[in-house]
Amino acid sequence: MAILNLKNNEIQCKIVYYGPGRSGKTTNLEFIHKHFTKQVAGKMISIDTHGDRTLFFDFLPMGLGKIKGCDVKAQLYTVPGQVQYRATRELVLKGVDGIVFVADSLKVRREKNMMSLKDLHENLKKMSIDIRRIPLVLQYNKRDLEKQGFPLMPLEKMEHELNRQLKVPSLSASALTGAGVGKTLSQIMKLTLKYLQKEFHWAQDNSS
Amino acid sequence: MNFGEKVKCLIKEAELYKTQGLLNESLDIYKNVEVLIEATQNVKNKDRFLAKIAHKIDSLYKQIETELSAPKPPRVSEEAQSVMKEMVAPDEPEAKGSASLASALALAKFGQFDQAIEEFTQLLATESLRTDAAKNILWCWVQQDEAEKALGRLKQWMSGDVLTFDELSGVRVYLEDLIRQAGLDTRVSKDKIHKDLEPESEVDDEDILDVDSIRFEMPRGERKGETAELEVSFQAGKYLKMLVPKKDKRLIADLNIGDYLSGMTFFSPVAIFSGNGYVSSKVVINAGPKKGDYSLEIKILNIQK
Repeated sequence: MAILNLKNNEIQCKIVYYGPGRSGKTTNLEFIHKHFTKQVAGKMISIDTHGDRTLFFDFLPMGLGKIKGCDVKAQLYTVPGQVQYRATRELVLKGVDGIVFVADSLKVRREKNMMSLKDLHENLKKMSIDIRRIPLVLQYNKRDLEKQGFPLMPLEKMEHELNRQLKVPSLSASALTGAGVGKTLSQIMKLTLKYLQKEFHWAQDNSS
Repeated sequence: MNFGEKVKCLIKEAELYKTQGLLNESLDIYKNVEVLIEATQNVKNKDRFLAKIAHKIDSLYKQIETELSAPKPPRVSEEAQSVMKEMVAPDEPEAKGSASLASALALAKFGQFDQAIEEFTQLLATESLRTDAAKNILWCWVQQDEAEKALGRLKQWMSGDVLTFDELSGVRVYLEDLIRQAGLDTRVSKDKIHKDLEPESEVDDEDILDVDSIRFEMPRGERKGETAELEVSFQAGKYLKMLVPKKDKRLIADLNIGDYLSGMTFFSPVAIFSGNGYVSSKVVINAGPKKGDYSLEIKILNIQK
């Protein structure tokens, strides 16, 4: 849950990057950490296991400037994507304000994307959060791999399979090159702040 | 596409997946290549080719196994620990409003057991958090497959004054359940727990008079605080054995091994004395005229002079 500090004109929200293992969640954060230096408000914390796979989470604090006089801060987290770390994913999701679902565009990962989205749905349900209500953005990652000869899923097909019912904003991206990474972040921040404004009227309270 | 081109194409794809860390996907393709080579006749250097593919498959299996073997959670930096603590809000139901308990719980949930145990141990000093902190310390040990250490810690508390009798009873029941749920009861049986946790008595066998009957207050259940009296059927020094008829269901249900009985009265033919006792055994009689009744054993821990 977002932290609103009206005394200090500050709002802090939690954004979680979710998705199957190896879909590029950590790569998204690494790119943001490296290229959005002005907004990065601290060290990126990563805890890897064998083979560079996230064990607990990655964490990146950001300062996104002032909106209607209010300092907007965001904490970006990733979850471990591997199936066996379900309990950790549940922990990291606690208090989430916005979610970026990083889907893998590789054809062979089609089923993993769907399973991970289902897992997200179930974990949110446990926390009494409706996946249709929480700010959510889908990112179709690894689009650059087509050039290297990897068979990718057509965007229309991914959209049909993952976003047919959700109907949330979706973006194609390549976290490795950075294409679409900033847009994804900006999209989820817009949705989250709009949602929090609707829920808590923080900007209004602040301006009065 | 001829055979050579097809194999080349598949191997390229398998290697690409490997670079992406998609080991299972890479393995599947190498297996397809193996089947394809085996099924094709007149392949040049077929055996050598198959051996190379088999080597690739073996190496992928090993890598997958390494990834899947759940590593012991590493001890993370203090910064990472702070993030973990922040992640679990203080309004967690199990934290019961305490930020310190919530942050120690967060560390435990992320497998930072040493640090969590250290923080829970500090919370033992706070009366309202003591039982939760103690239970969580035991949970941390059991999670690490160290049921014996959990038992050792409880034993330590039993011989000290960190926890009250009531608190100890609750914590003990919790540990027994925890060990059973974790499937460790084959290694640490109930009998071992009972034996290990039986407190030492302060009195020597020869100092104890013959006891005819005892009176004590029920330590738990619906009859908590009510007085119960039992006749002693057998005595071996500080150990008193009583028969409890099966019809006395409530007494049987509410007296359990590990219960401390404070302020007991012992009736002897020559004197009445008081002291504290401990339920050291409760066994159902399986044969004979008393079948279905219970044999209850109480150990005299000390005598008040």
